[in-house]
Order: sequence, then structure tokens, then C-alpha cells
Amino acid sequence: MPTLQLTEVAELKDQSFSSTDLPDFTASAYKDAYSRINAIVIEGEQEAHDNYMAIGTLIPGQAEELKKLARMELKHMRGFTACGKNLGVAPDMVFAKEFFSSLHGNFQKALAAGKLTTCFLIQAILIEAFAISAYNVYIRVADPFAKKITEGVVQDEYLHLNYGQEWLKSNLDSCKDELFKANKENLPLIKSMLDQVASDASELHMDKEELMEEFMIAYQDSLTEIGLTNREMARMASAAVV
Amino acid sequence: MFGLIGHSTSFDDAKRKALELGYDHIAEGDLDVWCSAPPQLVEHVEVVSPDGKSIQGAYIDSCFVPEMLSRFKTARRKVLNAMELAQKKGINITALGGFTSIIFENFNLLQHQHVRNTMLEWERFTTGNTHTAWVICRQLEINAPAIGIDLKKARVAVVGATGDIGSAVCRWLSKRTGVAELFLVARQQKPLLDLQVELQGGKILGLEEALPEADVVVWVASMPRTLEIDASKLKQPCLMIDGGYPKNLDSKLDGSGVHVLKGGIVEFFTDIGWNMMQLAEMEIPQRQMFACFAEAMLLEFENCHTNFSWGRNNITLEKMDFIGEASVRRGFSTLNLKSQLQAAAA
Repeated sequence: MPTLQLTEVAELKDQSFSSTDLPDFTASAYKDAYSRINAIVIEGEQEAHDNYMAIGTLIPGQAEELKKLARMELKHMRGFTACGKNLGVAPDMVFAKEFFSSLHGNFQKALAAGKLTTCFLIQAILIEAFAISAYNVYIRVADPFAKKITEGVVQDEYLHLNYGQEWLKSNLDSCKDELFKANKENLPLIKSMLDQVASDASELHMDKEELMEEFMIAYQDSLTEIGLTNREMARMASAAVV
Repeated sequence: MFGLIGHSTSFDDAKRKALELGYDHIAEGDLDVWCSAPPQLVEHVEVVSPDGKSIQGAYIDSCFVPEMLSRFKTARRKVLNAMELAQKKGINITALGGFTSIIFENFNLLQHQHVRNTMLEWERFTTGNTHTAWVICRQLEINAPAIGIDLKKARVAVVGATGDIGSAVCRWLSKRTGVAELFLVARQQKPLLDLQVELQGGKILGLEEALPEADVVVWVASMPRTLEIDASKLKQPCLMIDGGYPKNLDSKLDGSGVHVLKGGIVEFFTDIGWNMMQLAEMEIPQRQMFACFAEAMLLEFENCHTNFSWGRNNITLEKMDFIGEASVRRGFSTLNLKSQLQAAAA
């Protein structure tokens, strides 16, 4: 007797997402995880500020423009500091500095060598994509105060990304080799940073799978924007698999 | 530009395809890597109709695979992300293929219009169900007589009669084809009764009762897990049109008077220079495709940039006429038994 092949479609049910799927913002486990995540975000914005100021020294003609960006990053930093205060959480800045140290070191090395492409890759592509992806996921599970602040920040961050992208786009022919090389060295750092933060993020109801996907989307968007082909993007992304 | 959102039929197929396309980093990854993989615009294509009109299109692989069905959040993200990508690429009209429209409907994604910094514009998307329903009706009208079934005397069972495609098929069969009797089969009674009132006819039957009585069975429902069909209890001849997704009416049913036809598949009059339909395991991948995909092409050909097929029970006979006429004029024909394609035009 022939049997129909099974399908799981019949098991699909209406599983609409419920907004009650939010964490308990007052739980001590939540606050403990938040002390590290919040610190990472604050430190990330500080790094972004410092990095844009530093990039300005390499292209003095653009220094004013970059200074504006840097100021915006500081504004974000203050916003996120307020988010921690609002929940009564003291950010673990020692942890956050250590968290960014490898990426920070690579940026400083590139800066000293005048490697603008590497600097832009680290700040304008990787750190920005990392930030946007984390914020996009966080917005969905944040407390009302932090949600509002983060939404404002995300709007700004989408604007920021364009600056570094524009530079890389207009210099793509001459900077491609350095871009690939810098990516190969730094993309794995982002991957391990995500791994490192996964359990704390999960306490905040942020799935690692979703964080990684959001990062890959933002990263891919940037690479498309600067003019890489599908194959080149795939080659870039493969550096994440180590 | 038209767009098609599709996916591989299995995880293994998806990995093979990714390797071919040079996406080694995900090809070698496990299912978790795929769950984190963003949608990819994998191919651009040009399609030229018999009257020389040329349109451009793009195929987006959502990186969804059926193995993710049990992960509801992942499946939801795959669909929304692929739709966002289509919109960001400025595609006018995109068809939701395979599980994409099923997930959209069953997970109620209408309430997720905001994706990151994009507000999804529903008018840019179509389920393609109107064309699928029309194609299934034409397949019935062409193939039943070909195996000796007289439509005027035929009893036709529509399994999944209350669904979007199923109800459209019932409307067409009762008003246009004029079959002798229509059996309405579905799980829920209330929508069945409503449909019966709307059609002013049709007999509500359980699957077990309907199958042995039917000359033609149109499947547009997902199959119950434990369902078995005893071929010896079916009529001879019997035409079964498998219009569901995935197409899983066992080919073993085929033969001894039972004819199984893949429903909702069309063939273009000439080769299309794409690789995408190999993903869907079409017999002639350069020409054949799901009718829902073809609907996006037809809407682009006709400059009809609107969510032509959307929601449930909105498919009218007028809409089926419109898309059917365009389908024939733009060089599509329906897939028929034994791969003998005939003009779909009446």
C-alpha cells in the first residue's frame, strides 16, 4: 500500500510572536549579565569615538566631518550609560576593555602604519555592523527606557556606516588587497567576541543565532555597498569560519 | 524588476548548491550556521516573452531549509529577511515560493511589517496563488479528458477546499468548468459551510468518503502525517493533481489507472538562462517553474505592480481570468501528463 511521504507542514501552527516574551529586568541574573553587556556597549561607543578622531588625523581634509561622527558616538555612549543607571546596574568596564583589546590593538597598529583601509574596515565595517546587529536584536527585548534610546542610536548608526563605506567604495580598486587581508585578521575576532558574549546575551533574551545572523546581514550590506561581488563577499565571509 | 524568493528542498541540497555558487563558508557549516546565514540574491535573469517584451528578475535564496520548520523563530526570520532584501534591492514584485508563503501565513507575519530600518511594503509581494489556482484548474480541464474522464460527468474532490488556492479552485470548477459534482474536503467545518453557501453547492465529505467516489482529486492541503491511500479503492481511471507543497504524492500511486500530475507547474516556451529551478528539482529546469513564481513574472510583464495574490479567500474568477490570459499570451503552458505539454489556452 503506497504511503504518502510525511511532511511537517501539518505541524505548523499559528505561533505568532508574543510581546510578553521579555526578560525580568529586575532579576539579579539579568542585572549581572547586563553589567557586562552594558559595559561592552559603552566601551564600543567610546572606541568608535576615539577611532573616528584618530582616522581624522590620517585624512585631515575630512577631520571635521569625522569629528561630528565622533561626537555622535559620545552622545550614544551617554545614552547607554543612562540605560545602565536606569536599571541600577554598574557597568563592568574592566571586562569591556579586555573584551575589545584585540580589536583595539589591531586598530592602533594599523593607525600607526597609516593603513587607512584597515582602520575603516575595523571601525566602519566590523564594529559598526557588530553594534547595529546587537542593537537590532536588543531593541526587541529591551526595557522601555533602553528601547527608546537604542532606537535613536540605530538610526544614527545607519548613517555612520555610510561614511566609511563611501571612502572604501571610492578607493576600492586600490584598497581591495588590504581589505581582504585586514578582514582575514579581524573578522575572526568579531566571531570570537560574539561567542564570548553569547551566554550573557542569552540572559537578556538575545539569541546567539539571531545576533550572528544580524551581524552577517549588516556586514553583507556594507560589503555590497562598497561594491564587492557575491563571490568576493563570500570570500570575505569565509574568514569567519576558523 | 520581478523577484522570486525560494529555498532548497533539503539541507543536503542547500549545501551542494552553496558549494557550486562559491559560498564555501556556509556550505561547510552545520544547520546552526545556516540558521545564522543571511538571505542571498544569487542570480539575475532576463526573460523575453513571445512578443519580444523583456523583463529583468532576481532570485533570492532565503537560506531556509525544511529542516528549520520546527524552529519557529528561525523560519520567521528567514522569510522576513528575504523579503527585506527583495525590497532593499528595489524589486517591484516578488513571489513567495515554496514554504515562504506558508510560513508567512501560518506564523502570521503580517504583524511584523517593520524589519530593522525597513517598513515592508506588502504591495511589493505576491503569494502567486491566483496563478497557481488557475493553472491547477487548467491542468484538470486538459488532462482529465485525456485519460477518458468526461468532465460533465466527473466527480471532483478538492482536498484543502477552504484554503486560498483550494477555494479558488472550487469557485472556478463550479462556475466555469461545470463538473458533475464537487466534493469539499477540509478539516474545519465552519469554513466548509461558508464555502458551500458561497458556491451554492458542493458536497462536504470526509477524505475517506471522498476518495473512492472521485474521478479527479485535487490536493492543495498539507498531508496528514499518517495518511495512506489505498490505490485499489480509487476509481479507474483517476486523476490526482498534487498541488500542495512539497509535492509528495507518492509516484508509486502512478499507474494502473491512477494518474498523478504535479499541480501548479508551468513551462515557458523557451529556455531561460538560469540555474535556480534546479533547486526545485524540475524535470526541465531551464523552462519549468512553480506557477507562483511565474505570477511575479506575469505581473512584471503586465506592469501590474501590486500584491495581486494576498491574504486568504481573495481570489476571484476575474483575477484568475486576468492572470490566465496573461499566462498564455506571455508564453507559459501548463505541465501535463507524460510531459506532453499542450497549449493551456482553451
